[in-house]
Amino acid sequence: MKILVAVKRVIDYNAKVRVKTDNTDVDLTNTKMAINPFCEIAVEEAVRLKESGTASETIAVSVGPKSCQEQIRTALALGMDRGIQIETEDSPESLSVAKLLAKVVAEEQPDLIIMGKQAIDSDNNQTGQMLAALSGIPQATFASEMKIEDGKAVVTREVDGGLQTVAIDLPAVVTTDLRLNEPRYASLPNIMKAKRKPLAVKTPDELGVEMKQHTKLLKVAPPAERQAGVMVNSIDELLEKLQSEAKVI
Amino acid sequence: MSTYTPPLQDSTFVLDQLIGLDQLCQDLNLDEVNSDLAGVVIEEAGKLAADVLAPLNIVGDHNGPKVSDGKVLETAGFADAYQQFVENGWATLTGPEAFGGQALPNVLGTAVNEMWHSANMAFGLCPLLSQGSVEALIAHGSETLQQQYLPHLISGEWTGTMNLTEPNAGSDLAAVAAKAVRDGDHYKISGQKIFITWGDHQMASNIVHLVLARLPDAPAGVKGISLFVVPKFLLDEQGQPGDQNDVCCISLEHKLGIHGSPTCVMSFGDNGGATGYLVGEENKGLNYMFTMMNHARQSVGLQGLSISERAYQQALQYSQERFQGSNPDGSKAAIINHPDVRRMLMAMKSGNEAMRALALSAAADIDRAHHGDAESKKRVEFYTPIVKGWMTELSQELTSLNIQVHGGMGFIEETGAAQHYRDARILPIYEGTTGIQALDLIGRKTLFDKGAALTQLQTDIQATVELLNSAKNTELNALGSKLGKALSKSQAASQWLLENAASDKQLMGNVSVDNLMMMGYLTGGWLIAKSALLADQLSSEENNYGSPFLNAKVATADFFADHYLPRVGQHAETILSGLKSTFAIDIDLL
Amino acid sequence: MAILVIAEHDNRTLKGATLNTITAASQIGGDIHLLVAGNNCKGVAATAANIAGVSKVLLAEQSTYEHQLAENMAKLVLELGKDYSHIISPATSAGKNFMPRVAALLDVAQISDITAVISADTFERPIYAGNAVATVQSLDSIKVITVRSTGFDPAEENGSASIAEIGTAHDAGISTFVSEEVAESDRPELTAANIVISGGRGMGNGENFGLLENVADKLGAAVGASRAAVDAGFVPNDMQVGQTGKIVAPDLYIAVGISGAIQHLAGMKDSKIIVAINKDEEAPIFTVADYGLVADLFDVMPELQQKL
Repeated sequence: MKILVAVKRVIDYNAKVRVKTDNTDVDLTNTKMAINPFCEIAVEEAVRLKESGTASETIAVSVGPKSCQEQIRTALALGMDRGIQIETEDSPESLSVAKLLAKVVAEEQPDLIIMGKQAIDSDNNQTGQMLAALSGIPQATFASEMKIEDGKAVVTREVDGGLQTVAIDLPAVVTTDLRLNEPRYASLPNIMKAKRKPLAVKTPDELGVEMKQHTKLLKVAPPAERQAGVMVNSIDELLEKLQSEAKVI
Repeated sequence: MSTYTPPLQDSTFVLDQLIGLDQLCQDLNLDEVNSDLAGVVIEEAGKLAADVLAPLNIVGDHNGPKVSDGKVLETAGFADAYQQFVENGWATLTGPEAFGGQALPNVLGTAVNEMWHSANMAFGLCPLLSQGSVEALIAHGSETLQQQYLPHLISGEWTGTMNLTEPNAGSDLAAVAAKAVRDGDHYKISGQKIFITWGDHQMASNIVHLVLARLPDAPAGVKGISLFVVPKFLLDEQGQPGDQNDVCCISLEHKLGIHGSPTCVMSFGDNGGATGYLVGEENKGLNYMFTMMNHARQSVGLQGLSISERAYQQALQYSQERFQGSNPDGSKAAIINHPDVRRMLMAMKSGNEAMRALALSAAADIDRAHHGDAESKKRVEFYTPIVKGWMTELSQELTSLNIQVHGGMGFIEETGAAQHYRDARILPIYEGTTGIQALDLIGRKTLFDKGAALTQLQTDIQATVELLNSAKNTELNALGSKLGKALSKSQAASQWLLENAASDKQLMGNVSVDNLMMMGYLTGGWLIAKSALLADQLSSEENNYGSPFLNAKVATADFFADHYLPRVGQHAETILSGLKSTFAIDIDLL
Repeated sequence: MAILVIAEHDNRTLKGATLNTITAASQIGGDIHLLVAGNNCKGVAATAANIAGVSKVLLAEQSTYEHQLAENMAKLVLELGKDYSHIISPATSAGKNFMPRVAALLDVAQISDITAVISADTFERPIYAGNAVATVQSLDSIKVITVRSTGFDPAEENGSASIAEIGTAHDAGISTFVSEEVAESDRPELTAANIVISGGRGMGNGENFGLLENVADKLGAAVGASRAAVDAGFVPNDMQVGQTGKIVAPDLYIAVGISGAIQHLAGMKDSKIIVAINKDEEAPIFTVADYGLVADLFDVMPELQQKL
């Protein structure tokens, strides 16, 4: 089977997030960038399926400016077979990304598409579901375990109350949760090989997708500062504050 | 526990801009290697260093290896980490392709090694020693020995050790007493070796000891020492580890630092003699050791940078989390806002960047020298004692500053600041003490060629001074003037040494360390100034670094020039004094 | 203008997040219809009809909706939602699952996880794991939105909406429910827990950590410890929170009998809400706590357990 994995270039999860002083966006100048951690889990799952003989070919696709080729190269260094970059401006909207990916899915005809459940920058948690809908195929989001059996994917999903297992027909979209696997580190021989792996570049025009704007980012602000602490006099008062003021219990 | 963040941006800057990695790789005929690949290699190695090795650093410090029944059990977690290190192919980085290596340039290997040692120096010593064994066998081993051992050592499946020191043979290897007796196609080795780093452990399926020993009929002194391969497990017919050889670890040293690294007392031949195989020819062992010396000493110098970088990162983190005193607006001040704390951080940052520039420049010269470039060979020979001596001495000061930034908490083991300080203390000692390095620099590297290599370096520094002076940026002009001043003071001292020290061994010894430190600060100051010049040029074009980083490069060089370059003049003054009173007092009055 | 809200439930009970979502819908303004899609869930619809601000409950009962499979739910919501200005769901695992499918099929964006309503088309939502807050305007004719329940108070339950049954049964036929496993009652991992309760040297001994465990079980919290408590041998090393132990950043961190050495603060200072309980009113932990209680833990921990 053929597996397509979408990877997103995002701020490194260790890097500090700074909001621009004019509150127009987050300041990413000279910030370390990396593969979105959930996408890395998707890559790992695909590579494992290839290693176990279930998959025959694995493709990493990323949508964004040329710089996202770095993340495709990383995916190739982790063991993916070839890469596709879809050249766009910075931060295209999820719906546009889903439409571009749907065209790649139509072209490549993968049996399985694995994606991160969300990107740690926009925290939208929607592109995989949108892609599945646009491609008219089923989905299993927040996967913590998956098996391929009799032409179906049997996926255990992390849901609010616990775990839910579903069986979905292939082709399908699976989005990864943290516990699906622990991604490996790229090995030196694979880094060397990755240089020689093919990486195709496509444009939205070539794919016939119009990049329409559906939302407008009006403002980005830092989160509210921590309130100065208060002393409470009893457990009752504490519980009252935690329930009605802090709303954490 | 302090986290470790690989200095990807600075390493990349030094490799791409100061060294000119793309050009270097073309010169070395490495078609597939370029700065893009190097960037990925450093980043991915950095992940393993930061995520896997760095958290084990403090574990090794608290729970060092134990010896039982002649077997050393390394710190828990080290074996898994080592396996990951090997499986991911990091041991193969610079090894030749013929034996399964990736044949990447030494300069890239050095940038990667910096991270291993920052993350966990005690751990990093194991692959460092293996690399030394690999080089010895490549340079001097027979084809049979190479075929048998190199693929396994380069893959990291087996590790290597260096067995030089004996209870009575430390810096003076002429006193080596371990015995080797011919026995058919091999030799029987017996004797005791001490201070054997990673002499035994359970992380690899075999350990290849390189042992210095003396044949019964060998000439006395250093000309009678031979080098042998003594495997922990003898190889069977398939070349796999088989029977246990007559070698074992009899005890572990209790040390001030690098607790995670087993420092073994090794006993050879307790049961009739350990089987050993001669490397190269008989009685030439010491020469073979010397050919590896450049690299081993560079590696230890690099550790000086690594440990200082780790200490700096910890100080930087702590100084932003620790609040003492108030800001002008009455809010509590993080100590990073206090000028003296900021001064210490800048001293660490600028020191580290100068060391990185020097370590990688020297590493690139090794690549060029291996490729047959005679000028680079001379330059790297001149650099070697400076890299080893100056960088490890500076690491004492910088790891101490980390403790100072921590204040009282730095003196408390719990913060981990003390570990870096303790770990660093071995660096000016092993692989030749600072005193040995200083004598090497002043004797073999300066007086012996009548200052030829030194003059070439001075010429190069002068060229940078002129470029700085003629730059449009006034900050660079000021930098040029400071560097020029330091250069001329050092030139006066060097000239005086050339005229007076050759004929006066005691004078040479008195001021040798001052000469070493003078050359260290001068060379470091030169390379960091050169980096500033390149950063300034880059900032006017499109670049990947961004102006905050490039401006910081210039400011850091400026801080180095004000904080460290005056030391060039101080050391020069001491040299010119000849330190005449060194022996003025009788021993019983000392 | 009418708003379609999709109820969160398990066929037996209506989940609280629905109430917060109704509040968000009320802030947008307009007639609010609440869809209860499931199987044998008339009881849920009856409860839903009581929510203040809901004018109509749409009840879709079919076996294909029983487990809220995204493929089937999306078809249903798509069919019903075309005539609404807003389609809103709680940002629960169910809502997050089917809502983006609805948005994509309507060719509109989804505004995920809103925490505030600025106007009918403009919302606030956290990005970068809450390190920044974005104000986003939707340019679409139908706004598809998921709501983070912590951003809104729950709606009152004193309304009386009509209930209308929806007959259509959608079955995409491409996915099936296999099984489910309700989370075990075991306490969560320290680093993954939403609530962490930690004890220090003030706990006195290891047995007394039972006081914390009892509270933790009520809160679904993980139990941690300070370095001092670990060094004193009260609890094992893997419970240590601090610079040399685990770094945690839960929504709620309760420090009990912990003085607040820098080492410990480094391991928990990014927690959203910090509560400190200590009998020493000078303990440094109070300087970082949002709520401090000067009290003997042996008095107040049993009380806390009892009152939760």
